[in-house]
Amino acid sequence: MEPSSHMEAAPGAANALAVRPFGGRESGQSARTAADCAVRIAGLTKTYRSNWSLKTTRGLESLNLEVQRGEVFGYLGPNGAGKTTTLKILTGLLKPTSGSAWLLGEPIENVSSRARLGFLPEQPYFYDYLNGVEYLEFVARLSGMPAQPALKAARRWLGRVGLGEREKLVLRKYSKGMLQRLGLAAALVHDPELIILDEPMSGLDPFGRRDVRDLILEQRERGVTVMFSSHILPDVETLCDRVAILLRGRLERVATVGELVEGGGARIEFRCAGEPLLELPVAWRECLTRAQRTGETFFTLTDASQQQAVLGWLVARGVEVRAVTPQRNTLEELFMAAAESSAIQASRERRSA
Amino acid sequence: MNAVLIAQNTFREAIRDRVLAGMVVAGLVMLALAQIARPLAMGEGLRLTVDLGLSSITMLGLLAVMLVGTSLVAKEIERRTIFNLLSRPLPRSVYLIGKWAGLSGALWVVSGILGLALWGVLALLGRGAFWAPIAQAVYLAGLELTVVTAIAVMFSALSTPVLSSLYTLGFFLAGQWCDDLREFATRAPGSLRTMLEWIANLLPNFSLFNVRTLASVGETTTAMHLGLASGYALLYCACVLALAAAAFESRDFK
Repeated sequence: MEPSSHMEAAPGAANALAVRPFGGRESGQSARTAADCAVRIAGLTKTYRSNWSLKTTRGLESLNLEVQRGEVFGYLGPNGAGKTTTLKILTGLLKPTSGSAWLLGEPIENVSSRARLGFLPEQPYFYDYLNGVEYLEFVARLSGMPAQPALKAARRWLGRVGLGEREKLVLRKYSKGMLQRLGLAAALVHDPELIILDEPMSGLDPFGRRDVRDLILEQRERGVTVMFSSHILPDVETLCDRVAILLRGRLERVATVGELVEGGGARIEFRCAGEPLLELPVAWRECLTRAQRTGETFFTLTDASQQQAVLGWLVARGVEVRAVTPQRNTLEELFMAAAESSAIQASRERRSA
Repeated sequence: MNAVLIAQNTFREAIRDRVLAGMVVAGLVMLALAQIARPLAMGEGLRLTVDLGLSSITMLGLLAVMLVGTSLVAKEIERRTIFNLLSRPLPRSVYLIGKWAGLSGALWVVSGILGLALWGVLALLGRGAFWAPIAQAVYLAGLELTVVTAIAVMFSALSTPVLSSLYTLGFFLAGQWCDDLREFATRAPGSLRTMLEWIANLLPNFSLFNVRTLASVGETTTAMHLGLASGYALLYCACVLALAAAAFESRDFK
């Protein structure tokens, strides 16, 4: 699904994301070895081929990416961008068409690379004939824990995600939110060093989302690496040290949240009383816009160096300036702008082809 | 170790699934019906009881494999419960072996219960000495179901539940006539003969596991036959599961 085109993009946001395509040496991969990273991906490509029409579709294209140990890494992209494909390749559920990847220094082809991994799939499903403790004990033992510690960890984690009072309840009676919590407990029950979560906030109410956020932060404090995909961008902005934006199977950008947001260009908003009749000077037409809402006029300036000049110009014309507020682009605005820019580019490529 | 965990879980699923409980109940009903029909069997009541009792183990076992076994892996893929397993340090081949072992174990338990029930009825009829032929026949029926389960797991890993059921049933029926096919091959000309012999060799020879006729008259088979059947079943299961694992290894779970 393409992002909705009617949403207004923040000024300058598209440029901020388009300027630094990620890959090759720019990512600094040559200096680090796979063992230094929690996740290292080199030239990962995945194409799907239909059994009937033999038509191939691209899921992922030459992806290069590194996730450092101990960081919380957000993996963003619209539906169909290739996020789940990447995560499934890393966790052994899909085979890459080409390229390599390592988890905690071990190639993903080795089954043992998943011993220290915790994974929460998107919309997790479970054996509905088991109860919560039985399920968590089972998966903990599959990850290598001995029987007794696995049972203890299962009970502890069931309580930790708020399901401890319903130990004996079979999973077929769990609600969607309860299943999501159980999935999270299953990803964490064996104390992994790396956690990969595919849409961990999906299906959760605000309390559930807060609990997941707390769990992720708790894991970061323990030194655990967390890589997660999400559509809930305010959560990503709050939690992540770095984010990657994936569009149409290609990596558009990897940066810290701060870099992305600052790089999007700051704006300054002047809130003025009434609806003054003013003609904007020609010199500021590129950087100053006007909007009227509920009896007030809002001037938005995208060039911070002109702040004093604009303020002086408004005051000189008798306008009552009620507030001057610096505005920051949100990750959501930047993301939407990048998605739109990519969609336009793809459309151009199609036309020229 | 992980194969044991998967087997335990599959065993638990099979037991809680009620299909196997239904199989036990159906087997007991068959035995009861045999007792009702015994006076009409013109002196062959004992034979009827043994035949029906042993046949019901194989037939109900086959039904359970068709209902549970052929969707054993396909259902996990469809419901995506497999994601939580294969994203752990669990080789895909071990997963398949565990699935096969778990369901086979459950079928052995059910076969054992029905075998005991049959022996109980025979003991009540004053034929408690039939325990050895019954034990042998139940053992061989268990081996037969183990082979059928391996075939079902293979198809389940590679196909849909409906197709898996059809393929498994096809193999079961073809395997029953394996000796007839081999006999027919001896009369066929040239290349057809070679082809039929190859097919007969590839199909599971289920007649090797059938000692019902002997058991119904209270006779036992030889230790060599039991050993040969055990070795054949193990080898056949190993080949089928190796084939399944090789194909399953490259499968994508979208």
